[in-house]
Amino acid sequence: MASAGDVATKPVEDLGHKIDGAVSVGEDLEFQERWWKFENMVWSIFALLLVLDLLGVFGRGWAAKAKADTSDGALHVRYERIERTMTPSVMRVRFGPNAAVDGKYKLFVSASLVGELGNQRIAPEPESSAVGDGGFVYTFPALGQPAIVSFSLEPASPGIYHWKIGVPDGQMIEKRVVVVP
Amino acid sequence: MAAVFRAIFGYLFLILMVRVVGRRPGKQITPFEFILIFFLGGLTLTGMVGDEVSLTNAFCQIITVACCHYAIVWLRTKSPRVARLFDGTPLRLIDGGQYRVRTMEQMRLQKADLMAMARDQGMKSITDIDLAVLERNGEISLIKKEEE
Repeated sequence: MASAGDVATKPVEDLGHKIDGAVSVGEDLEFQERWWKFENMVWSIFALLLVLDLLGVFGRGWAAKAKADTSDGALHVRYERIERTMTPSVMRVRFGPNAAVDGKYKLFVSASLVGELGNQRIAPEPESSAVGDGGFVYTFPALGQPAIVSFSLEPASPGIYHWKIGVPDGQMIEKRVVVVP
Repeated sequence: MAAVFRAIFGYLFLILMVRVVGRRPGKQITPFEFILIFFLGGLTLTGMVGDEVSLTNAFCQIITVACCHYAIVWLRTKSPRVARLFDGTPLRLIDGGQYRVRTMEQMRLQKADLMAMARDQGMKSITDIDLAVLERNGEISLIKKEEE
């Protein structure tokens, strides 16, 4: 059993200044003024972030949407240059009238579209697909205009990724997508 | 791995939010503040959990939050600066029978809040108060004027 002498003790002291028996509050107005300045700054940053989000700077909005075309008019792509992790988005590829060869549209997409950018589904489903050259070539039967293929994307992790899309043996569109957490 | 970092971020972000949104007297949480608490908690949870709904993930994230909390509590006891940063300092709202107007405004407190606290402590009038202190835990301590 421990004796009373073994118990460590310290004198009891007031934390703040105490004058004429007043209550010791321990107020630190100097710190508090700095904290209020910090708080005001944080609210300004919150407001700015909110405005940026409404504009789509963090994806899912006006600033995130982008278009890209090949100069020969074979492909017109609408995509989101800023994506969000685990959030679905759609990339639409419209074939131009001169893109069809032997009644078929062929489309090369880089492997990153299926890998990093998490392509979940292609609508309509391609008639056939082939793999190689760092990507995939999908073949769709051409019925007429407009001819649009949609890729449902859902990136699994944040990062900066590049994709390439085009008609095989034709011009390619290469773009960068930022996936935010 | 990422889930652990998400849990740390979520915990620290919630601490910042609660600290910035302001200290309000604990006994006087209004329905609006209940909504705020539920929303902040629920929305943080969505980002923290993501699509990882396994029991393992929940277990690891709970342990992570517990460890973060323990670390902050430990730091608070070791360093008065850290304690001041996380908890703030006590603030005088009424001193010598005079309102501290700037403090009241900055802490988004109204005279009605003080009056409610005065009634809670059995005082009939706010003029009976000599000193009112917004404590670090959000409670308001009231000290009566000495009887003449």
